[in-house]
Amino acid sequence: MLELRNVGKTYPHTVKRTLKDINLTIEEGEFICIVGPSGCGKTTLLNLVAGLEEPTKGEIFLDGIPVKGPGADRVVMFQEAALYPWLNVLDNVMLGMEFLGIPKEERKNRALKYLKMVHLSQFTEYPIHQLSGGMRQRAALARALSMDSKILLMDEPFSALDKQTTNMLRGELEQIWMNDHSKTVLFVTHSAEEAVYFADRIVVLSENPGQIKEIISCDLKRPRQIDQEEFVHMRHRLLESVKKEVEKFAKEEYDKN
Amino acid sequence: MQKKSTTKIKKGLELALFLFLLVVLWQILYMLFVDVFKIWKPYSAPSPAGVAFSFASLLKSGVLLSALLKSLGRGVAGFAISVIAGLILGILIHHFSYLNRNLKPVIMGMQTLPSICWVPFAILWFGLNNSAILFVVVMGSAFSIALGVDDGIKNVPPLYIKAAKTMGAGQGDLYLKVILPACVPSFLAALRQGWSFAWRALMSGEVMSSTIGLGQTLIIGRDMADINQVMLVMLVIIFAGVVIDKCIFTALENRVLRKRGLM
Repeated sequence: MLELRNVGKTYPHTVKRTLKDINLTIEEGEFICIVGPSGCGKTTLLNLVAGLEEPTKGEIFLDGIPVKGPGADRVVMFQEAALYPWLNVLDNVMLGMEFLGIPKEERKNRALKYLKMVHLSQFTEYPIHQLSGGMRQRAALARALSMDSKILLMDEPFSALDKQTTNMLRGELEQIWMNDHSKTVLFVTHSAEEAVYFADRIVVLSENPGQIKEIISCDLKRPRQIDQEEFVHMRHRLLESVKKEVEKFAKEEYDKN
Repeated sequence: MQKKSTTKIKKGLELALFLFLLVVLWQILYMLFVDVFKIWKPYSAPSPAGVAFSFASLLKSGVLLSALLKSLGRGVAGFAISVIAGLILGILIHHFSYLNRNLKPVIMGMQTLPSICWVPFAILWFGLNNSAILFVVVMGSAFSIALGVDDGIKNVPPLYIKAAKTMGAGQGDLYLKVILPACVPSFLAALRQGWSFAWRALMSGEVMSSTIGLGQTLIIGRDMADINQVMLVMLVIIFAGVVIDKCIFTALENRVLRKRGLM
């Protein structure tokens, strides 16, 4: 269980990019999406949970233990694949497990298992620069899954990919998550469609200060189809909520000038 | 692959032809200004034929080869010391912000000092010997390597470090398995630049001292008013510097860059 209690984050010398009074409890196995206007602090929130940044107020607990710094129980998948160009695909996937001190034989078996799961079995020996963007994110996903962390943090992992690749990877991630229902996922996205596709609950953040505006429960049947009536309805409802925020923010910006 | 190697040969031939034309031009100028107009004195202007003759006689007597080997050995030794000193210094000025703020500007200042300025100190402290030359070489190249190392570590993409941290990498793992491998291309570039500084510093040192080496052979040429020998040694210094740069440093750098898809 992941708990955020009164979490706030302000940066010195800037008014923007602040988070305020974030209270959120995430149960094991939940898929949570965080949406909001750009610059509202979605990524900051994720970084706080990851331990890459420290909150200036409040605390974050994972299974009752306060989060202090980054750790392998909260693996992050970034917008870019963050693979290491001096290692091939297999060695990249194995490196994460190496940090955990897992013996070599098991590292390899596990890496191959997850690479198969993301359909990269044929590419284990490839250097990173020969992979397409989609394949890189697949390899990064395999690496993240192989770490067997309690929580998977995803920061717009598909946003730099083309539409078709994104759709395919979404399907794969959903499949993997459904097969292993104990995996908690915290997924930042700016796409309402993506949020409705994945989420058990959608956290809508407001802008300036970044606060939780509302939490939308999303209990559509899985696997979800984006042309389902309920899906379209839910997506519309979410878009409205975010749109109001964007408009509010835009007005404030114009008024300043 | 086939295409690549033929363009390489083409480029090589083009360069060879250009150098040949330079030599022809040199010969024409020599004949014009020395033989026809008599503006230049033969003892102050080298000629291609004279240099070739000088090359043959120095090669035959073994002077050239032993000087070259001595200089190369000294260059490699001095460079090796520089690499170790530069690496340590570079990591230190990167790691400690106090040193980064205060020592780094000093090192940058030292880096602007031509290495020949260290020669008086070198001779006073070590005498006219090998150690003096090594000192000049190290002072001439270690600072450049240190700055290159600091720069290389600084330019590691933050994402590499963030990703490693969220996968539970400790400080040791972070340095050994992420930061250092990520730095290899910039380290190689720093070493390459360090070598060119070392080679130049070596010649400054050798010219001033009296131990066997290319620098000394050059000075002997001057003392004997043999301008062809001076010119020959200059060409050998250029040639040796270029060959080491291309065959070792550039080759190594290209291999690493190609493996990482950076070229």
